[in-house]
Amino acid sequence: MANRTVRVDYIARVEGESSLELHVRNGAVDRVRLSIFEPPRFFEALLRGRGFGEVLDIVARICGICPIAYQMSGVHAIEDALGIQVDEPIRGLRRLLYCGEWIQSHALHIVMLHAPDFLGYPDAIAMAREHGEAVQRGLALKKTGNELLRVLGGREIHPINARVGGFYRVPGRAELAPLAEALKHARDQAIETLRWTASFSFPEFVRDYEFVALRHTDEYPMNAGRIVSSAGLDIAAVDYETEFIERQMPYSTALHSALKERGAYLVGPMARYALNRDRLPVEIRALADEVGLEPMCRNPFRSILIRGIEVVYACDEALRLIAGYQPPPRPFVPPEPRAAVGYACTEAPRGVLYHRYRLDGEGTILEASIVPPTAQNQGVIEGDLRDVATASLDLDDHALQASCEQSIRNHDPCISCAAHFLKFQLHRT
Amino acid sequence: MNGSERALALVAGIGNPDRGDDGFGPTVAQRLRGRAPFTVRVVERSGDALALIEDWNGIPFVIVIDAAAAISQPGRVHRLDLTDRPLPIGLAPPSSHAFGVAETVELARSLGKLPRHLIAYLVEGEQFATGAPLSPKVANAVETVAERIVNELSAILEAKGNAGYA
Repeated sequence: MANRTVRVDYIARVEGESSLELHVRNGAVDRVRLSIFEPPRFFEALLRGRGFGEVLDIVARICGICPIAYQMSGVHAIEDALGIQVDEPIRGLRRLLYCGEWIQSHALHIVMLHAPDFLGYPDAIAMAREHGEAVQRGLALKKTGNELLRVLGGREIHPINARVGGFYRVPGRAELAPLAEALKHARDQAIETLRWTASFSFPEFVRDYEFVALRHTDEYPMNAGRIVSSAGLDIAAVDYETEFIERQMPYSTALHSALKERGAYLVGPMARYALNRDRLPVEIRALADEVGLEPMCRNPFRSILIRGIEVVYACDEALRLIAGYQPPPRPFVPPEPRAAVGYACTEAPRGVLYHRYRLDGEGTILEASIVPPTAQNQGVIEGDLRDVATASLDLDDHALQASCEQSIRNHDPCISCAAHFLKFQLHRT
Repeated sequence: MNGSERALALVAGIGNPDRGDDGFGPTVAQRLRGRAPFTVRVVERSGDALALIEDWNGIPFVIVIDAAAAISQPGRVHRLDLTDRPLPIGLAPPSSHAFGVAETVELARSLGKLPRHLIAYLVEGEQFATGAPLSPKVANAVETVAERIVNELSAILEAKGNAGYA
């Protein structure tokens, strides 16, 4: 058993296609490779030559789970280039739309993809036979999130209503009222789901991540804020490429991101919470305390609790935004093309999502750069895998594989986004 | 039928109309509009198969239409009764998402949320390229399947005394 190879050809319960290969030599982990073989999708090249008004419809196709994130980073970057400041109600509607995406994406991951790992089931289908209520709560939460997307985005998958300068159509107050009723119920379901996950057993495992997330002057971050880190980074989106670099890996169709100075870093719910807990309302912080969530959680297996906190928060925030909503005087600010470069980061459910566009005077895209959260987290995921595997080498291959797969799912990777996930290979030689 | 009326049957055409033969389900669904009895709700779905559990909630008779990988000959149509058994592995429509149609059906079965009758019409696809239309062999199956579904729905609803046409 000193030397062995574990290979998982397709990693289950993640979005997209990837594989994992683990080599153990002389009783120690020798090599870990998270290979993304989802075909490269060339979205950045596809955007070149298109008008700025086409960007949101194109980038929404990058992901069926988080199209809002792509639309929001895209629209903010274009508006940054064109010098557009949107009206306050538009800003509120965009945050409301983002709440919907956080709710549906997190609910899917918590209940359907991640929870079976903790309860010892191969999948949610088997788990549903004994935890039917929890699964139905998850589905109901997802439905509520989708409903926000449908009302504000025009449809649930690849929404079509967001545009540069605002929205094609804004809802009246009466249209949002049924959403508020659904969200009140969803908030209760989110709290029950959080308490259910808090009853799970979590492996003792801690890593010293550099957390990277947005930080806003007074909000828990979604659409706006500076890029900050637990090691003291504090920059605007315009400086993203000064601090971060993307590298090609021969075994993966996704680029790996790193901090130029310090290497791997972590984006996503753990980073957001660690760097922004003080921006959560006191009731949400109390709920985090109740379920034993420490202010700076470095155990990735406990990220399921943080997603749970963020679902409750997104329900609360959505209710607050609906209560204060007054339709704007105009649905959008008319954009005027100009030659410029625009930059933006927003907080996708899986973490910081960076967009940059260079436009000519007619508003045609000359250059586009998109860095999704999963591409940024690949270094950390491989680091986690190395440490988890090292601590689990006494397990048989099946148990070791299960442990490694759970470790990957801790970060809810979206492979389709990054290759734009999993085959597992373990070599013990 | 409009949303406020209670449907007696649901037909769901599943797939992405911009991915070659994956567009078979939505194309058949479109062909059924105006032809299916008015007590039948016809929907097109792409991407999120889990939403089907909500779609068929309270509806006793459900037909799903989807494309499958070719196992014998492209364009061949399979009619499967999923009420008491899962989709055969070889025919389960592929999905890059965590929950495809096969997983959704089995999840619903675990939750006791399956309709009383669940039928799947699957066509074996030939190509699923981005932006491509239906292949000729699969396109040829559209009207045949639409016709079979209209007849099946009519027979079932007439047997229950609920047939009606707009």
